[in-house]
Amino acid sequence: MRLRALILSLLAMAFSGIAAHAHAMLDRASPAVGSAVADAPREVSLTFTQNLESAFSSVQVTDANGARVDQGKPQISGNTMRVGLKSLSQGTYRVRWQALSIDTHKTEGSFTFTVGGR
Amino acid sequence: MLRSSSCSRAIALALLFVAVSGAEALAHCFAGARFFPATLATDDPCVADELSLPTVQWSKTGDVPAATEWDISVDFAKRITEDFGITVGDTWSHIHQPAGFTQAGFGNLDTTFQYQLLKDGPHELALLLGLVVEWGGTGAINSGLATPWSTLTPTFYFGKGFGDLPDSFGWLRAFAVTGQIGYQFPTLSFDVDSGSFIPQVLVYGASIQYSMPYLKSEIRDYQLPDFINHLIPLVEMQLSTPVANNFGNSPITTGTINPGVIWVGTYFQVGAEAVIPVNHASGTGVGFLGQLHLYLDDMFPTTIGRPLLGGSSAPPQQLKF
Repeated sequence: MRLRALILSLLAMAFSGIAAHAHAMLDRASPAVGSAVADAPREVSLTFTQNLESAFSSVQVTDANGARVDQGKPQISGNTMRVGLKSLSQGTYRVRWQALSIDTHKTEGSFTFTVGGR
Repeated sequence: MLRSSSCSRAIALALLFVAVSGAEALAHCFAGARFFPATLATDDPCVADELSLPTVQWSKTGDVPAATEWDISVDFAKRITEDFGITVGDTWSHIHQPAGFTQAGFGNLDTTFQYQLLKDGPHELALLLGLVVEWGGTGAINSGLATPWSTLTPTFYFGKGFGDLPDSFGWLRAFAVTGQIGYQFPTLSFDVDSGSFIPQVLVYGASIQYSMPYLKSEIRDYQLPDFINHLIPLVEMQLSTPVANNFGNSPITTGTINPGVIWVGTYFQVGAEAVIPVNHASGTGVGFLGQLHLYLDDMFPTTIGRPLLGGSSAPPQQLKF
């Protein structure tokens, strides 16, 4: 019974200072995940649920042949990561991202969007 | 027996003290882009820093007439290293017989030692080995809710997401399965008090789950309401079959099938499941299982939410494509 009291005490102590950090999950994207857009976008914008560590977060956009179509280093501000795109023709493109939230939780993901699919 | 009980509690106490002293961290059950939530009736395939407080189950026993049973559980999972973790748990039960007789008290203390064998991101695969120890004599033996003997259950856990299927599979890629199989050895083969053999038992379970967060972030964002995008509907199954030393006992498999749903938030998840007995020996009617589960690695990333030793103490590597 003393052990249970101790556990409860430890939990009460632990919950007294919750930090506001967590895994950075993809909240929304532009172009949207799995979407088909009529006009070629000029950038990909990813918004996450947490602020990002800019030095350790990245995004890459490739065409159906695996060739890079992004313009390199992304711009990261707060919870948003943007990367410019080269001129895209019709086709399906894959966005691969990795994110490190400011408390060092790492997440990753990928999705596709299609240009000229409407 | 008293000595055994004190020893078990001392070990648990020591582990908890070690657990709260701090280290580095990353966690949650991720394999690549796949997040495996903490399932309610079975275990997820990862070591983690998590707390289930509480898990509540209501059900009716398979007795005739059936008794009503409430079980309230607590489980605290702590990573010692990046790949090795320990879980300590206990359950308080209250069983009310129709005739008015009531049993109440704690079950034996459970401790699970787990080692992460594999996390394969591209294939969304996680494998885990564990040893579940139920410490005999640490619960309410006199109420019949705990046993004086211990049990050891080496267990294998797995999780597999289907996000590595071709894009043409579309929304089907949001499915995942998890499972576990263990072999339970009692430390005593014969119970003198009841005059019966104590069987060795195969303990196994699985879940099939559909991740709405995965659908939204990996396959297609249907612009559904935010609440829906946090849901993971699932069906769990947990079964046990006596396989040895079962002379004179029923050889029947018992267990439940649990359809339900988990809402996944940033710092916690909430789950609810119906509990459907697979046969009359497993229970009567449909019960209920609910759980509040806290992600300690996200709530306390610099203290109890990181492994005690090693882990991610090295600075993170710059991500490259």
